[in-house]
Amino acid sequence: MPSDIILQPATLLTLSLCGYVGGAVAGLLFARHAKLANLLSFSAAALSGVSGLFAALVFLASAAAPLRQIELVPPLNPFVQFTARLDALGAFFLAIVSLIGFGLSVYSLGYAKGFLGRKNIGVLGAFFNMLLLATTLVFLADNAFFFLITWEIMALTAYCLVSFEHERDETRKAGVLYFVMSHIGTGCLILGFLLLFQTSGSYGFDTFHSIGGQMSASRRNAAFLLFLVGFGTKAGIVPLHIWLPAAHPVAPSNVSALMSGVLIKTGIYGMTRTFFEFLGTPPNWWGVTVLTIGTISAVLGVLYALMEHDLKRLLAYHSIENIGIILMGLGAALMFLHTGHGLLASLALIAGLYHTINHAAFKALLFLGAGAVLHTTHTRNMEEMGGLAKRMPTTSFFFLIGAVAISALPPLNGFVSEWLTYQSLLQGFGTTESLIRLMFPLGGAMLALTSALAAACFVKAFGITFLAQPRSHHARQAHEAAPTMLIGQAILTAACVFLGLFPTVFLKLFDPLTEQLIGQQISSQLTVVNGLVLSGIAPNGGTVSTLGISLIALCLVPLPLVLWLLFARGSKTRIGATWDCGLKSLTPQMEYTATGFSKPIRMIFKTLFRPRREVQREYDFSPHFARTIRFEAHVEEIFETRIYRPMRIGILRLSRRIRALQAGSIQAYLIYIFVTLLLLLLFAL
Amino acid sequence: MTAPVELGSQLITLMAALMLVVQLFMVVQQMLLTNIRLFAIQSLFLAGIATVIGYAHHATHVYVLAVLTLLGKVLLLPRLLTRLVRRINIIQEIEPLLNAPTSMLLCGGLTLLGYLVARPFTSLERLGNNTLAIAMTLVLTGFFLMFNRRKAITQVLALLTVENGVMLAAVALTTYGMPLVVELGIFFDVMVAVMISGILVYRIRESFASMDTSKLTQLKG
Repeated sequence: MPSDIILQPATLLTLSLCGYVGGAVAGLLFARHAKLANLLSFSAAALSGVSGLFAALVFLASAAAPLRQIELVPPLNPFVQFTARLDALGAFFLAIVSLIGFGLSVYSLGYAKGFLGRKNIGVLGAFFNMLLLATTLVFLADNAFFFLITWEIMALTAYCLVSFEHERDETRKAGVLYFVMSHIGTGCLILGFLLLFQTSGSYGFDTFHSIGGQMSASRRNAAFLLFLVGFGTKAGIVPLHIWLPAAHPVAPSNVSALMSGVLIKTGIYGMTRTFFEFLGTPPNWWGVTVLTIGTISAVLGVLYALMEHDLKRLLAYHSIENIGIILMGLGAALMFLHTGHGLLASLALIAGLYHTINHAAFKALLFLGAGAVLHTTHTRNMEEMGGLAKRMPTTSFFFLIGAVAISALPPLNGFVSEWLTYQSLLQGFGTTESLIRLMFPLGGAMLALTSALAAACFVKAFGITFLAQPRSHHARQAHEAAPTMLIGQAILTAACVFLGLFPTVFLKLFDPLTEQLIGQQISSQLTVVNGLVLSGIAPNGGTVSTLGISLIALCLVPLPLVLWLLFARGSKTRIGATWDCGLKSLTPQMEYTATGFSKPIRMIFKTLFRPRREVQREYDFSPHFARTIRFEAHVEEIFETRIYRPMRIGILRLSRRIRALQAGSIQAYLIYIFVTLLLLLLFAL
Repeated sequence: MTAPVELGSQLITLMAALMLVVQLFMVVQQMLLTNIRLFAIQSLFLAGIATVIGYAHHATHVYVLAVLTLLGKVLLLPRLLTRLVRRINIIQEIEPLLNAPTSMLLCGGLTLLGYLVARPFTSLERLGNNTLAIAMTLVLTGFFLMFNRRKAITQVLALLTVENGVMLAAVALTTYGMPLVVELGIFFDVMVAVMISGILVYRIRESFASMDTSKLTQLKG
């Protein structure tokens, strides 16, 4: 049966990989014909995304055994093998990259036209496809060597995409920062995999399985820390996060969405793979460390986001926050694994991973919305926007859905995964007698704080950007985005809604995954009432139904109408101007600004922000009637000024010292080599 | 059967020792052209060793190596270098950094070190005695020659003696030498290296009006 073959995950996956390759080649081949290159490369990426998504879903739904190892390229030697394999964890992340890739590619069809005549769209399309391909291969790689190679290709293509608009100084700086941070991470990963290799004697991921049990404690801990730093750099945990707010804003918006939605999730993938599959039963402090880092990242991420008035930087800081929330789930799962609570560990892991796909969906959506706004207003500064809801209604609707989702309001997807995280954290208190258990309620409280601040932040982001009157000429001239850009956003909006309304359906797909990593299937315990209601697993765990909430909300919609019909039918309606305090008329200058909106929070957390402001007034006769006022407010980015800047200065100073070695004389270089040789020989004696 | 092997072994020991002697001559020899001739003689001994090994073990491909060494290192390369020296018309005298007695002392030390390093592996030698130790010494002293001289062309020469040492180790350590492909690879590497250095030497001479590599410090960024 041909249809059987076509629906096989392996076939679909191969189609998807070939599609990306084809898209990349088409982009380069037709680089001269921008429109054709745009059409071909991005449609190839979109189709590959659909194909990959189906491959992942079919695989997860059939709960099949891992696909047979496929050798992509003949091995160089017994250690370096280019083997790929699809298993449950890989399939889950494959679903993420394919879903987001699909939405983004459709969006890019319209978005990339903005570069017509300015930049080489074919190259953009080619790198876009290559990044998707490399990311997909990262999730498929079954050999540490192959994994590192794809990891590096991914980092390099992402670097090329970040520096796409390299004419601007800011872009080049951000690109280099990303490059450096990314390679620090990769260095740690190489060391980590070498530690595993020393014990297993092979680079195959299959031989790494539970290898932690055979390693000495110190090596195991070293491997854990190396992986935490290595993958954490990619994921953007505090304090390794500084590249995110620099690199995400300057990239083209479809690329920002891809980076924030998918690329940083490869860090989460790596952590899940290594911590849960390779390193064996974790000691307690691993979980505590991950949970603490997650909590700190979540709170600091959202606090810095609140201070931003650059729309894309704001979203980038929110990525740090959400990575923190995901890590809270993973950290709790590690702690439960230590105490042997497999059920709770599965719950926490699902919470973390469900938030991973949710964050991918709504953050990509928000970046696309920001991209559409940027596309038409040509500024990232929220203070120069405003009033866009009237000019781009569909985009603003989609952005609003994304904002509700990221603020974790029911019934959308952010709510579901954060609810699951709360459930696992709250139930964690009873799992151990030691003082460590205080971590759980503390983490829960911090998560609550984070959610509240995130909601505040998106009130600001949506309100200042889309509501009220336009504050600049560009905002006044704004127009709705191209149809393909709207369709791309619609795809991701649909994903957010479905992931929010029908979590019980999606949770079934996690069964093979938790089975693989923890050895338990818990989806049946997470759903009650025929799968309509989501439940925390313990007897006293809560239950919630996003579907029910929306149904009740729908039922409540006619209520005001009924009330009006009953009581206020006879009242008169009077239409007048908005109250303007007796001034002549309302102008955009009287609007609430982003800086003003976040002022209370800046004051509350002023030990962290160290806000600095500068006011310059110019007046003619009385200080009460100023002619012009210049107001500047800054917050200090502690990590940049206190950690990275001193480190950078130190490294530069050291390099200058070391440079003395470069004498420029061949004799000197030969003597270096000779002395090294002699020392090695003597050492060997 | 044992008779030719025994004889071969002695021959090889002798020729290896002569290679070392020639090397030490090169350390103290001040004239450039004589140095090139010494290198040719050293290569001749190497070709001899390869022939003996090929004969004693009936290994055809070692003969190939011997012929290549004879053609390349004994005839072609020295002639090439000589022509280069004549063409750029440089002063014949080598100006070493360290004077002859000090160089000799140091090379004596290096020879000792070579013997020390090679001692654990003497059981691996199939034919001849101390060939590995001599090979090590050739590499070390070759290295010393490389940084002890200023002129680019003498450094090329020193590199070639290092290569002779590596070749000697290859034919001495394993009965049948390294696989032919590897030997050919190394051989052509050296050929290409000499060609390129020849051109470079010429260019350095043109740009700096000198062949003294210590003037290259001007290139430093």
